[in-house]
Amino acid sequence: MSLLPFSDSDSLSFGVELELQLINLSDYDLAAASTDLLALLQRKPFPGQVTPEITTSMIEIASSVQTRFGPLRAQLREIRDTLLAAAQTLNLGLAGGGTHPFQHWSEQRIFPKARYQQVSQLYGYLAQQFTIFGQHVHIGCRSGDEALFLLHALSRYVPHFIALAASSPYVQGQDTLFNSARLNSVFAFPLSGRAPFLLRWADFETQYFEKMTHTGVVKSMKDFYWDIRPKPEYGTIELRVCDTPLDVDTAALLAAYLQALCAMLLDGGEPPPTEDDYLVYTYNRFQACRFGLDGITVHPKSYEQVSLREDVLRTLRRLQPQAERLDSVEALEGVHELVYRGNGAQWLRDARDRAGSVEGVVDAAVRRFAGVA
Amino acid sequence: MPFGTPPRGQVRGWHTRAMIWNDPQLLAQLPVLVWPLLLLGAWLIGEWAHHRLALPRITCYALAGILVGGAQLGWLPASAEPLMALAAHIGFGLLLFEAGYRVNLRWYWHNPGLLAAGLLDAALSFVGVYLVAQWTGSPPAQAALIAALGMAASPAALVRVLQEQRAAGQISERLVHVATLNCLLAVIVFKAVLGLTVFEQSGSLVGALYTGVWATAVSAALGVMAGVLLPWLLRSRVLSGDRSLPYALTVLALVGATHLLQLSPIVAALVFGLVARHRREVFSRHARGFGPLGELLTLALFVYLGSRLEGALALTALGAGLALVLTRLLTSCAVMTALARWSGTTWRKGALTGLGLMPLSAFALLLLEQSRHLALDLLDGLAPLMAALLILELLGPVCTQLALRWGGELPARAPEDKS
Repeated sequence: MSLLPFSDSDSLSFGVELELQLINLSDYDLAAASTDLLALLQRKPFPGQVTPEITTSMIEIASSVQTRFGPLRAQLREIRDTLLAAAQTLNLGLAGGGTHPFQHWSEQRIFPKARYQQVSQLYGYLAQQFTIFGQHVHIGCRSGDEALFLLHALSRYVPHFIALAASSPYVQGQDTLFNSARLNSVFAFPLSGRAPFLLRWADFETQYFEKMTHTGVVKSMKDFYWDIRPKPEYGTIELRVCDTPLDVDTAALLAAYLQALCAMLLDGGEPPPTEDDYLVYTYNRFQACRFGLDGITVHPKSYEQVSLREDVLRTLRRLQPQAERLDSVEALEGVHELVYRGNGAQWLRDARDRAGSVEGVVDAAVRRFAGVA
Repeated sequence: MPFGTPPRGQVRGWHTRAMIWNDPQLLAQLPVLVWPLLLLGAWLIGEWAHHRLALPRITCYALAGILVGGAQLGWLPASAEPLMALAAHIGFGLLLFEAGYRVNLRWYWHNPGLLAAGLLDAALSFVGVYLVAQWTGSPPAQAALIAALGMAASPAALVRVLQEQRAAGQISERLVHVATLNCLLAVIVFKAVLGLTVFEQSGSLVGALYTGVWATAVSAALGVMAGVLLPWLLRSRVLSGDRSLPYALTVLALVGATHLLQLSPIVAALVFGLVARHRREVFSRHARGFGPLGELLTLALFVYLGSRLEGALALTALGAGLALVLTRLLTSCAVMTALARWSGTTWRKGALTGLGLMPLSAFALLLLEQSRHLALDLLDGLAPLMAALLILELLGPVCTQLALRWGGELPARAPEDKS
């Protein structure tokens, strides 16, 4: 099966997909309610897209293709309000966060769709364990080559996004000491990791993808669970490492940060990516998952070690010209504030201290997502 | 006496054994053994039927109780009965607490269709059952009492089936919310009707109503007090472990107190659960159901209820009983289906919710027992009611299970861990 040709997209257009938790308001556990919620949402037009995910306690929303931070944030807020209104009718709450603090994977039910049933058959308990919630940001690329260039140039910045978005410190009722425990579930899949270092789309097609499909291990791009993955049907690359933030405003901030970063990279702001950049990749990624903004990142070229917090702040300063061009100055200020306030994992830990129980954490997350906390 | 009276002064081995059999005091204690053995037997039947026939366990417990009940095989000793009755009432209280705990009052506010469905279901069930009861020959006062009972659905049986089947979804949520609402309404109406019929002779209509409503209000107030006081008492971080025991003890105290004061233990326990949850007191998953204590008391509850049903009496009015059951079924299904779309669900799920609301017997029997102090043993002589309760005791939980299965709210594969 040959790869679909890369559809060209407007450069630096972007879109956000969010996987959200459906919370039973009686006991704050996950609710197997996506079929009921989708049935209710179908009655009225939806300001975006809403689709099921692999287990019935997850729901995925997607914005349309946007070009600016302001309209993206507005659309995400509208989607949130529509969802909340429907969820209220069904005694459900919605929450962000990369993991549900105390759900048990064995209780999750697979959504009745053919692909999910197949995945469940293949991966066994990993499918139910994949009840984790992430944010995917798509960035439009003018060609497959540009896509691969951005994919590899962004590898240095992946820990930024992990640390900024991290919101999954609790798993099965316990503090994992990680900022993002969610990514540990992603890494369990055999086809996770990163794309092979190829900079031309034609090479990617012939030297890698066709060979992989020939082995029978892979049928389509969907089977790869890479941190950044090209999506040829949309003409985008997809950043998949972020945990779902605790509110939609933060989701919009992260998308704008990624957009500005891509603009800077396309302007030639960094030396070209090389294979050796990946020497420090897994270490940096682990530091971000474990320590969040306090983690240490090693620069792939100079091997300088700085804290992620410092690295993000430095990068934000460099992105001023791009931010002005893309009308996302407000967004970068928001990211700045996020670095100082602390990420979602920090907020959830504080909520636990205030509430005294993991159920209280979920309650706080539900209220924060609704914008009332 | 099979062994005869042992001669004085001769205390040899077999004479000692003979003395034990001859001791009247000891013999009087033996029946105490019957109940635990009966419960063990019921539990075994329940497990077997659950695994082999996929029946809800509480149906089997009730069946065991019916078989050995006073009116059937008569194996149960009267002496142990007050203890069993108490265990049953406490077990019921715990389940009602669970039910109240699962209710989110704000949902009625956000989903007026649901509230309307509950109220309409109660109203139409009352009217329907009243008419059918009169048609099958009951005098108006008795018909009104039967109708008041018919308004409700037993939250205890529902909660038990939901827990056992690990059900989750809109039908499950709606069952609990509608049943709790209707249960409270039924208690109020029942007490009001009781007050009317009892005091009709003594002439004070207003007095009767007042007593009925007042009893319910005070019970609710006790429930609220407990629901506010207990979380406050337990707010210290030091007590951060499993909190279910103090709650179980409080339910015990509430049930006891409301019994003594001739109020409504049902209302008190339900309201306690409602308020505890809304004070953001949250139980971890494994603490719910009150663990082995809850299991034991639930077992005792349903076996006891089964033993209170008189098969012979019920069989004399089976047709009438069936008519009552079908009336309830049809009104619930009709109302739930009609209001399904307004309340945010599909017609199919609405109809299945109506089906799932069938269990009644636990609530009805205990409510009737609690009214015994008014010197009205209503159960005797109300053959159609007895028949209806017999049918519902066995088939009610089965209906709920079917509703959940057909609604797709049961897990595809039973989880290994049954804790």
